[in-house]
Amino acid sequence: MAQITNSNNLKLFNRDTFPLFSFFILFLFCSIMMVADYRYQILKNIKSEFTITTSPITYLINLPVNLFNESRDSFIAKALLKEKIKDLEEIVYNLSIQAQENELIKAENKLLRNILKIQKDFGIIGKNAEIILPKVRNGYSIITINKGLENNIKNGAPVINHKGLVGQIINISENYSEIKPITSKTYAVPAIMDNGKENVILYGNGNGELEIPLFPASSSIQINDTFITSGIDDIYPKGINIGRVTEIKPTKSPKFNCITVEPFSQPTTFSQITVLKIKND
Amino acid sequence: MIKKTIIEQKKENTLFIILFLTSLILSNLGIPGIQDPAIMPNYFLALIVTFILTKRGDLNLYKLVIIGLIVDLFAGQLLGQYGLIFIGIYLLAFIINKILFINSEKQLIGLSIFLILFSFFILWASSKSHDIFMSFNLLLLQSILTFFTYLIFRAIINRFISK
Repeated sequence: MAQITNSNNLKLFNRDTFPLFSFFILFLFCSIMMVADYRYQILKNIKSEFTITTSPITYLINLPVNLFNESRDSFIAKALLKEKIKDLEEIVYNLSIQAQENELIKAENKLLRNILKIQKDFGIIGKNAEIILPKVRNGYSIITINKGLENNIKNGAPVINHKGLVGQIINISENYSEIKPITSKTYAVPAIMDNGKENVILYGNGNGELEIPLFPASSSIQINDTFITSGIDDIYPKGINIGRVTEIKPTKSPKFNCITVEPFSQPTTFSQITVLKIKND
Repeated sequence: MIKKTIIEQKKENTLFIILFLTSLILSNLGIPGIQDPAIMPNYFLALIVTFILTKRGDLNLYKLVIIGLIVDLFAGQLLGQYGLIFIGIYLLAFIINKILFINSEKQLIGLSIFLILFSFFILWASSKSHDIFMSFNLLLLQSILTFFTYLIFRAIINRFISK
């Protein structure tokens, strides 16, 4: 079967003579233009001269695409924001329920305190601060915080975080204070076991732990027993978590054991801390 | 030689101008949905290859150089670059028509692919930045897209210019 071809578009061998001279002239012209442009940046200059006219045209040409892209982006952003708002509304709702529960617990607590005639006010005020520089000075670790005399921080004030006791303020200046952490070698805190049986003094050992060097062997103590502040020194309020027993080692004397306590809160684990101030009245 | 009426000639010229302006607009736009602006056909190469192979628009060397200079002004890197490519395409198409008998559609398509690849090679070789690290895949993709654009332009020419 014969193939149908469009004979108008096709020629049977081109018999025209090629304008060779014109071609070489134009080839030379184009080459010279390219070299001149490369050397003198002619096109760049022309384009910069015509920017005022070409920019609006380019802007108009790109306008539909830009509008499409921007509207698409805004729709996507809107959808994402709607989703986020929905999530946040849910969180707010849950928090409001929690707040209601807290109010209820607070009211119950007040009622129970009234019934049991317990002191109504703990007399403790907290001042939140942030750790700005944990450092070691003369072999002792020191933590610097961003609150000082200007924020009514007092020397000797206990410092806690949400896990437990962190240390004690030892130096204060106008805008910052220094804390001695509970694991520092020169640190001591009166403590009591959470079952209220044993009153002891815990010392920092400088290795990230606390210890009781001479704990009567006759006293009952077990691994994982926890210690809280006893409050007998009028510096640390009673009931702040300190740590739990991790090791009970015998000493040279058979009458005593050495107890190692791991603090609940490593001083530099969290950047936020609270400096406590006890009301005098 | 095929004789064209003045009306036909006018039609061809008008269509060429319309397609040229369309190419100018399209070369400033990316392909929707493709973020990389490099992935785009070279509309001007497709247009010139189409008009040279279909022997429309009564193009000659001087016209091609002037068109090339206009393209350089709007979309070129180097003044004279597109002029050189266009006269190169014209020369090659002329020589091939001289020595080969282009009879079927397949041959025409083969020739168009060859001319597009040739023009991309010249474009790459005469590129101002001489970007030798230009990915081969990207060049190939551009050539393929340009070939499809050529097919579209040819369909438009066949549709709107009466034979």
